[in-house]
Parts: sequence; structure tokens; C-alpha cells
Amino acid sequence: MLLFRSEETVDLWCKGRNIPRRPLINLDQLWQLALHWYSNRITVESRRPAADEMVSIFASIGLAGPFWDPKSNQWK
Amino acid sequence: MERNIGLETKDDKLDTRVKLAIYETIAETGRIPASPEVSRNLGVSQDEVVAAFGRLHAKRLVLPEPGDRTRVRMAPPFSAVPTPFPVEANGKLYYANCVWDAYGVAAALHCDAVSHALDGHTGEPLTLEVKNGQPILKPYFAHFAVPAAHWWDNLIFT
Repeated sequence: MLLFRSEETVDLWCKGRNIPRRPLINLDQLWQLALHWYSNRITVESRRPAADEMVSIFASIGLAGPFWDPKSNQWK
Repeated sequence: MERNIGLETKDDKLDTRVKLAIYETIAETGRIPASPEVSRNLGVSQDEVVAAFGRLHAKRLVLPEPGDRTRVRMAPPFSAVPTPFPVEANGKLYYANCVWDAYGVAAALHCDAVSHALDGHTGEPLTLEVKNGQPILKPYFAHFAVPAAHWWDNLIFT
């Protein structure tokens, strides 16, 4: 998961590696993901979100569809 | 990963102690401790610590070093090796595994942080900053090359 200044540099990176362009997220969405994943990481009860929880977290910040579904076999 | 709430085993309890020992050392030093250090800190055998590393991997909480089960490569959001995502926080230098984890360091440590990252294509310096619990938003993008179902297939690449 890399950082890019613009969509243009994303496209150039993908083209240079013959990798299809996949979803982009902005920094606000990225920060929300970081909070969901890591804000309780250094605690007794911390754990990785389960698959269904992941789907809910992604949906809550506007990330939906099979790309964001850890149970999906649609994407390779 | 299924959870057995209320049925915590002896191994589960050790896993929690090992997990916290790993993260507390990271928070204090920026380093991910290997099994001898965790063993000394907890007063348990290295074999038990290595077994806990394996179970924490199965729980997708840490990634052991490939080829060396006594070490941990990733305790997300932290990396044991330098990466393109250095993060300065609490007067220390940490390395995050990816751009998501660069913000994750501030989220995990609950502190201000600055990551001097790079554009993935051009190498141009791009700064990510968290101040007073909020990110300083810029019009950058994170690109997820791997779908969620495959993140742990090759976490180092992801």
C-alpha cells in the first residue's frame, strides 16, 4: 500500500509494473482505517477485526464491493 | 478467525502477554524484540515465546521473520526493518509497513507523529502528519494493489 501525490503518479506506477489500477483512498479515509485497526492495538483485548467486521468498517468509510470483502474470491 | 469468548486457554493468556511485551518494547524503543528478549522480560522459555509468535501469526497479529521463527518482521503497524515509511513520534523513530501503517503508528501510540514518506512512483518526498489526534489532510492518495481477501497471502508485498 503506497502513497502517491496524484492519480497521475498512481497510473504511471501501475503502467510501469503492468499492474491494474485498483481503488484509491484519500487521507481522511486512510486515517479512519488506521484508527479502526490500531487504536487499541497495545491493549489486552486487541485483535484483528473479523471478516464481517472488516466489511462493516470499510463500508462505514465508503469502501464497498468485492475488493474490500476479505471473503470474496472475485479479485486475484 | 473464530473467537472463543470466555474460553481463554493457557496459550491464549501467554499469547496476550507476549503480544503486549512485543508492543511495549516497540513503543519504548522503536525495535521489535526477538524471542530471547521477550523470554527474559516475561520469565518464560524461548520455546514458549516462539510458539506464541506462531499462534499470534495464525491470529494475524504478527508476521514472523521469513526463515527465522525466533524473530518478528511485522507487528503491525510496526516493521522490524527500515521501510519507505519512517515515522517520528514521541521523540523516537519507528518504521511502518505501508502507508496505512504510517498513520497506524500515531493511532496505536495515541500521539502526534510525522512520516516522511515518498511518492510511490516519483520518489518525491510526501509528508504525513498527525497533530492533536487529527491528520493534516493533503490531496494525496493511497493505492491498494492487493484486494482484502489476499492481504495476508504475501503481507510483505501488500
